[in-house]
Amino acid sequence: MTNSKVCVLGAGSTKYGKLNENIIEIALSAAKDAIESAGITPKEIQAGYISNVFGVADKQVHMAPVIMSNLGISHVPGLTIESACGSGSVMFREAYANVAAGFYDCLLALGVEKVTHTGTVHSTTLFSYCSDFFYEGGNGASFPGLFASMARAYMNTHKATEEDLANVAVKNHDNGLLNPKAHVHKKITVDDVLKSPVVASPLKLLDCCPFSDGASATILCSEEFAKKSGRPYMEVIGSGRGASPAAVQGREDITTIPSTVAAARQAYKMAGVTPKDINFAEVHDCFTIAEIIDIEDLGFFPKGKAAHAVRDGATRLKGEIPVNPSGGLKSKGHPIGATGVGQVVEVFEQFTGKAGERTVPGAKIALTHNFGATGASAAVHIFRKVDRK
Amino acid sequence: MEKLSAQESTHQKFIEAANRKKILAHKCTNCGHLMLETVLFCEKCSGSKFEHAELEGTGTVVTYTIQAVAPEGFEDAGSYAWVVFKIDNSHLRASGFLPGIKTPAELPIGTRVRVAGFDPKHGLMLQK
Repeated sequence: MTNSKVCVLGAGSTKYGKLNENIIEIALSAAKDAIESAGITPKEIQAGYISNVFGVADKQVHMAPVIMSNLGISHVPGLTIESACGSGSVMFREAYANVAAGFYDCLLALGVEKVTHTGTVHSTTLFSYCSDFFYEGGNGASFPGLFASMARAYMNTHKATEEDLANVAVKNHDNGLLNPKAHVHKKITVDDVLKSPVVASPLKLLDCCPFSDGASATILCSEEFAKKSGRPYMEVIGSGRGASPAAVQGREDITTIPSTVAAARQAYKMAGVTPKDINFAEVHDCFTIAEIIDIEDLGFFPKGKAAHAVRDGATRLKGEIPVNPSGGLKSKGHPIGATGVGQVVEVFEQFTGKAGERTVPGAKIALTHNFGATGASAAVHIFRKVDRK
Repeated sequence: MEKLSAQESTHQKFIEAANRKKILAHKCTNCGHLMLETVLFCEKCSGSKFEHAELEGTGTVVTYTIQAVAPEGFEDAGSYAWVVFKIDNSHLRASGFLPGIKTPAELPIGTRVRVAGFDPKHGLMLQK
């Protein structure tokens, strides 16, 4: 029997940053938090969906059975999913679909990454394997380089400036200061961004998110399961997936990401809402230019207008559409297998009164957006807060 | 090591054309759509029969970056740009490695570039 409504009953994250524990310990920490948050025992989990990209860098692939075994439920089937930096949301979508289809009534959806021990230079190389390597990484483009090429195209087309990009970093660092689990707790100014070392022009160090370790986990379940629990939960009301040409060169317009547009269209249609109904959004800001492009592709601002909106404060916590209240990838951090799940954790914390000073007052509908590589794959989800009577 | 098929690999054919300063494309024999050599089914009609279309390796810069921090394997490359360029007389774009670029002033969007060859270490080599 299918489940017409799919809900998030629990959520938890480790701190994001440079972590000492190994990748399995990091994953288990988030899993434990999510299980306790849902008020369930591991025995109620019927499947484990795990997202991860570079487990091999910490000597562990085939991660799902290891995580299930260490949760004391070695008989529970698991699956590990990779979709570059979008792994978390793409995995969440598959987990969602399996509950919706009725295969499971309760499962663990967990993302994890550990790369910082490999060092910045090697991490940069590992990440470049997420590009269309024959055309991009193999010709000397790093990931900052690929997004820098998108930034240059955007700035040229829409007359945006490096200051416009810097405004995104400043806003997300301000939000991250309010998030105890964020990787980077540092207030910065536009001038700090502009004076930081160039990584790949026009992007500078403070335009780029950090490499992070960390894990985030959620408990997904049927509505019936959530109602029986008597605990707070939220409903997944929209889910969309999209794809773009893998290489930047394959896109007719480099100032938009087709996978985001397609995923958002599907999610809005399914949820029966429009961008104006979204109270806040967690979007994929691996680089400042990405957030500018995202919030246009998601329909919050017309094409070419996002830079002005950010400058005017429209995306700040008290703005018309708060974007990345968690601090985003830029400040909260970017453990790539976990990032998409971490966005869902932020929505859950916002809806259940656990977001502290970064709470978006009165929020009832929120959107998460996460993509892989330069947007070759993307997923968008929309959530509704359920008010228990 | 065994070869996947008797045919030369698509990447190898692309590289050989680049060494002749050309960009090798596929033209669908069913609908005429043009794609880079490495695509195996037509994006428009899903046809799988193609004729080679060897394009002149010249074009104009669409966008680029100057990699101040070079990835592994490019530490010895000096200051360079990674460039996306539109290939002349087609809708296609390709990307490559353009050495010797230090500042954006040296490479305004629209600058003419041409394929100079394929370097095993640095990929598709471009020059202004």
